[in-house]
Amino acid sequence: MRVLVVEDDEDLARQLGDTLRGAGYAVDLAHDGEDGLHLGDTEPYDAVVLDLGLPVIDGLTVLERWREDGRTMPVLILTARDRWSEKVAGIDAGADDYVTKPFHTEEVLARIRALVRRAAGHASAEISCGPVAIDTRSARATVGGQPVKLTAQEYRLLAYLMHHKDKVVSRTELTEHLYDQDFDRDSNTIEVFVGRLRKKLGVDVIETARGLGYRLRPPLDAA
Amino acid sequence: MRRNSLAFRLVASAALWCAVLLSLGGFGLSALFGDVVERSFDQRLNVLLEGLVAASEVGEGNALHLAPRLGDPRFEQPLSGWYWQITAWGEGGTRRSPSLWDQRLSAPMLRAGEVLSRDTVGPEGGELRLLARAIGFGDRLYTFVVAGDRSEIAADKRRFNRLLTLFLSVLFAGLLIAIFLQVRFGLEPLRRVGRALAAIRTGRTRRLQGDFPREIEPLAAELNALLDHNEALIERARTHVGNLAHGLKTPLTVLTNEAERHEGPLASLTRRQVEIMRRQVDHHLARARAAATAGVLGARTEVAPVLADLTRTLGKIHGHRGIRVDGGSAPALAFRGARQDLEEMLGNLLDNACKWAAGEVRARAAPDGERLVIEVEDDGPGLPPEQRQAVLERGRRLDERVPGSGLGLAIVADLAELYGGRIELGEAPLGGLRARLTLPAAAAG
Repeated sequence: MRVLVVEDDEDLARQLGDTLRGAGYAVDLAHDGEDGLHLGDTEPYDAVVLDLGLPVIDGLTVLERWREDGRTMPVLILTARDRWSEKVAGIDAGADDYVTKPFHTEEVLARIRALVRRAAGHASAEISCGPVAIDTRSARATVGGQPVKLTAQEYRLLAYLMHHKDKVVSRTELTEHLYDQDFDRDSNTIEVFVGRLRKKLGVDVIETARGLGYRLRPPLDAA
Repeated sequence: MRRNSLAFRLVASAALWCAVLLSLGGFGLSALFGDVVERSFDQRLNVLLEGLVAASEVGEGNALHLAPRLGDPRFEQPLSGWYWQITAWGEGGTRRSPSLWDQRLSAPMLRAGEVLSRDTVGPEGGELRLLARAIGFGDRLYTFVVAGDRSEIAADKRRFNRLLTLFLSVLFAGLLIAIFLQVRFGLEPLRRVGRALAAIRTGRTRRLQGDFPREIEPLAAELNALLDHNEALIERARTHVGNLAHGLKTPLTVLTNEAERHEGPLASLTRRQVEIMRRQVDHHLARARAAATAGVLGARTEVAPVLADLTRTLGKIHGHRGIRVDGGSAPALAFRGARQDLEEMLGNLLDNACKWAAGEVRARAAPDGERLVIEVEDDGPGLPPEQRQAVLERGRRLDERVPGSGLGLAIVADLAELYGGRIELGEAPLGGLRARLTLPAAAAG
């Protein structure tokens, strides 16, 4: 899961980034509207945290451009409590939720989690596929009810596949959604991670669609 | 018409000079007419005197003969007030009109060529006008006297004066009405200014509207400029306060979050102090803004669009939780205050309702005399009566788990109070909390 944070205050952006990374997200930071607009237009994000008061291009314009360009990722806007017209304008421009300043970064995390889940069509914080289940709130995975210890990278990979279960996910897509932009992208590392994840889970839920990518589906014998 | 008014001053002063001029004119006309009447009476007497002279001739022995009749029958009627008398110098005695009966007119004997005209008292006691002339017949000198009833002159004058007074009174009344209408017409633009100001005060309009005459145009323009300036000043003050408060919000967020990652006395002190700062910022931002707004002339916000914006926004955000947000306002209902403040109050109420609701939030706005009432209800757990007051008090937070709860309602209460309104919490028919917000309404525009 990859998240873009567009916030001009660098301390706040760093805090948001830390919190989101701690919860297993790949995070990119942008400090002005121009950067943010560009990143959102070119990189595939699963969610965006967007401050409305941005330098160069204001947040509302950025959001409108994304929607005009057909970008549909969920967007959480940061606004002040007493600026209702700003919230109305933000939601009308295509934002999915807002958080009012000042806030706890955990609040933003909870909203982002809910937005990502909703975008993938899951109503609950827990997603399961056969014996495998993840709890997006605690970033934990279980197999048959037993907890499985995963690294942050492994969890991200599993969570992305879980959010898109029964669909074929290409390696490129996985790379784009699992790493932030500074990461050295080598699609071979994906194969390594998938191999490790298969071993740790111990059940055959990750199917290789040759030449296309991977697909998560419940094992046939368990159905 | 009040005594201390322009209209009263204009009408009263015009009435005064009208009365003075009309009275002067009346006296003048009356005097002129009196003069004319007296002259024409004298002329009539003169004609009668000429007739008397013409009817006289001197017979044998110097006896004076008169034609049997002398035109006017009033000379025959005893004590009619019309008399003649001919007196000869020396012997020869006096001839009198039958109307004199056995009386005499007191008139001096005149010398040749002398003419006398004077007022006297007649035998019956009435006032007479008397004309006498000395005329020689043959070798004797006679004094011819003709007298007429002066009361006819007085009667003519009286009748004339009566008519004149009546006419002048009607003229005066007409002038008064004309002046009154003229003043009314002339001052109508001022009355329009008054009405326009009242419309601004009650929030029906924001600016002085209408076509004003050249003399008042600058006043209206100045007043509108003043209102604009006032609004700009307040807007600027509001923007400054807003910028200050919003400028503080990001650092406060950063400090809160940083403090929460650490343990120890410094971190907990920072957390506590930052929370106090946060509340102060929210509270004073709302207060400063409202204080700047509550007294502004001409602020007016339609309720329906604000309610529609907020229910649409919150409906979209909370829709995924299955919460329906439904809002309705009576048409043309307007709040006498700034849009931002109405948004803040309604937004906080709806936001709070959405956070607690199980599936339905309902907002209704309706007029109530000079006020408007907005009710926001939800079907959540509601609030026990003993906690309802506490939640409206500043800085009290009932449930830390739902962010922002409590403080939002306290801000609504603060704002409503500054506008002279109030908020009451009760039980909703839906089962949850019902917030009833009463605010000043702007008159229909």
